[in-house]
Amino acid sequence: MEVMNFRSLIIFSAFLRVLLIVYGEWQDTHMEVRYTDVDYLVFSDAAALVVDGKSPYKRSTYRYSPLIAFILTPNSFIHRSWGKFLFSASDLLVGYFIRTILKLRGVPENLTIYSVLVWLFNPFTFTIGTRGNCEPIICAIILWIIICIMRGNLFQGAVWYGLVVHMRIYPIIYALPIVLTLDPNHFQRGKKPAIVDWNSRQHKLNETSNRLWVFFQSIFTRSRILFGLISATVFFFCTGIFFYLYEWEFLHEALLYHLTRTDPRHNFSIYFYHIYLNYEREFAVLEKLISFLPQLIVQIVLVFRFAQDFPFCFFVQTVAFVAFNKVITAQYFVWFFCLLPLILPWSKMKLKWEGILCVLVWIGAQTHWLFWGYMLEFKGKQVFLQLWAASLLFFAANIYVMITIIRRHTYSPVFKRLVTSRTKKIT
Amino acid sequence: MEYQGFRVLLHLRLGIMLTLLAGITYCKHAPASFSELFRRHKYITEAYFQKHETLIDRAFQDFISSELSHVFCGKQNFMPKLSVMQRQLIGEGSHRRLTSSVKIEIQPEVISSLSCEAIVIERLPSGVFADPFELEHLTGRGVFSGASAFGDTDLELPTVRANRSVVEVHVDLSPNSLSGNKNSWELKIEIPLHARYAPLGKHGYTRVEFESPDLFVHCVDEGDTLNQSCIFSSTDEGVRTSPHAIVWEVPSGIVKHTKIVSVLTFIAAVVGALSVFMACIFYSEVSVYNGTKQS
Repeated sequence: MEVMNFRSLIIFSAFLRVLLIVYGEWQDTHMEVRYTDVDYLVFSDAAALVVDGKSPYKRSTYRYSPLIAFILTPNSFIHRSWGKFLFSASDLLVGYFIRTILKLRGVPENLTIYSVLVWLFNPFTFTIGTRGNCEPIICAIILWIIICIMRGNLFQGAVWYGLVVHMRIYPIIYALPIVLTLDPNHFQRGKKPAIVDWNSRQHKLNETSNRLWVFFQSIFTRSRILFGLISATVFFFCTGIFFYLYEWEFLHEALLYHLTRTDPRHNFSIYFYHIYLNYEREFAVLEKLISFLPQLIVQIVLVFRFAQDFPFCFFVQTVAFVAFNKVITAQYFVWFFCLLPLILPWSKMKLKWEGILCVLVWIGAQTHWLFWGYMLEFKGKQVFLQLWAASLLFFAANIYVMITIIRRHTYSPVFKRLVTSRTKKIT
Repeated sequence: MEYQGFRVLLHLRLGIMLTLLAGITYCKHAPASFSELFRRHKYITEAYFQKHETLIDRAFQDFISSELSHVFCGKQNFMPKLSVMQRQLIGEGSHRRLTSSVKIEIQPEVISSLSCEAIVIERLPSGVFADPFELEHLTGRGVFSGASAFGDTDLELPTVRANRSVVEVHVDLSPNSLSGNKNSWELKIEIPLHARYAPLGKHGYTRVEFESPDLFVHCVDEGDTLNQSCIFSSTDEGVRTSPHAIVWEVPSGIVKHTKIVSVLTFIAAVVGALSVFMACIFYSEVSVYNGTKQS
């Protein structure tokens, strides 16, 4: 079956997003319930404060990098929807980057289009940018970093990586797989890395354990050290500049809050009721460490198993990171939705019926949680126990989907060894 | 003796004159003290929180009686009658609306020369809060002429970590909105409120009780070149409030769940982590692709 070409896809997606932004403006003006996300109002207020020469942190609940407020300053003098257009444009850029990455890996056009469709027509993703959520920008940057690494532009990749960790802390989890990928067998001075073609995807166990051994032998290679130094410099430079401008308020709201956040209010996380029930006493350091241990173990095992297939590694790490986190809000799902299209061409899972089952299990568990959440928040029923049980069920659904995807994935390292005589270079 | 008597009389007259002078000066300055308040602050509660860090009912009442003693407006001596007819908490769940039906009776002849607004101050109990941005949005839509929240307006803190807050709402009283025989205003004031996460309990619900609001009428004499303002408070005579208390039952966590929830949460996390661990360890090692990918 011939699918529409990529250009038509992007044009249609752009049109859909413009329509939604316009509709959103109408709904905000004429209906009690707003289409626009509360976060967008926070960004806009913070941007207006910046235009007045004040700190964006004077706006309560603004917990982002000042960069977000800076790029939204045109909200005050062009139009209040400027930000939504910017985020939706990033959303389209993510679609374009997905195609670029899949093309670099030799995926056929049809499969590429299907994968891009999964992002562009996911109802969750096309509403998130049009409602004014800034996650599409983060997703676009992460995909661009993947492209930079694949093309051997390590300096640029490192700069963007430092910037994205400053904007949103969670991409720090990708540091280890990136370092593992910057293997001296893949990255050599003066040579572009050679990418494994989709048509010849396969792997061998020995290679994996060899890689680990090589990693520990030669951990400090030029590309690894440079990548680490450049990204760390960019991160600390941004942190330094904004600390100079906005002092402790910036440090607390944009960084420390996210590192220490324990929200007792109900959310998808299995920890929310445990946090609420223990909120009146401080958690001991040992308790905090123990609760972090499952997350740590999962991240380490995923990285050391799949690092060479780093788009897949990023995806499973992100799903695990979100599932095991102390707080889960719906916007976190975008973090792995943007990586899902990158792994689909390597999955042995068919849509009928394994794929559909995964989708139904995940959405079903989420809907079940939302039902109890509605009973608590909007009907005032004492259903904390049921809601917590629903969060356990949602956690189980996430684990099930993650394990299914792992089991049905064709592990395929991105790069070939450059030393072999049969190296195939991508032009 | 005569001279001494004359001196006593002189001192007495001087004393009386000084007292009268002081009295006249006081009367002249009394309206200025809260005219000043309204010149410096749009909201009464703002002035309270300039002097106090947290809301204490006793301190707030003292503040009202000392700073806002009423003064006559204009040339006539009038006293509006303020009453809260009905109070209700509408809605279910964590987001509700506190409505108050307010009646303000005033002599019709004084209305034309005065520009008045009703001020309702809700001293919210611990456990509920108002969103200042939501109030701002309502003001922008013309529901109120001014509305704001003061005190602890942190939207995210649970009750055990939060202090109380106050909502102050201003509504213009225009001659056009007079009801019935043109001698009273009847207002329905609806304030959106949200419940904080309640302290843990045994029974699963926490009771939050609302007190009566403080009601004021603030007028400015348009004919007065100095634009003096005057205020009438519901602590004066002639106020009637609704007899029954408004109660909000907020769901709260149950203490006896603590152990089982903590244990099962950690077991779930460990089982989840082990499952992922096993899936990775037993991941099919050799997977060679032959043929075309099927979607």
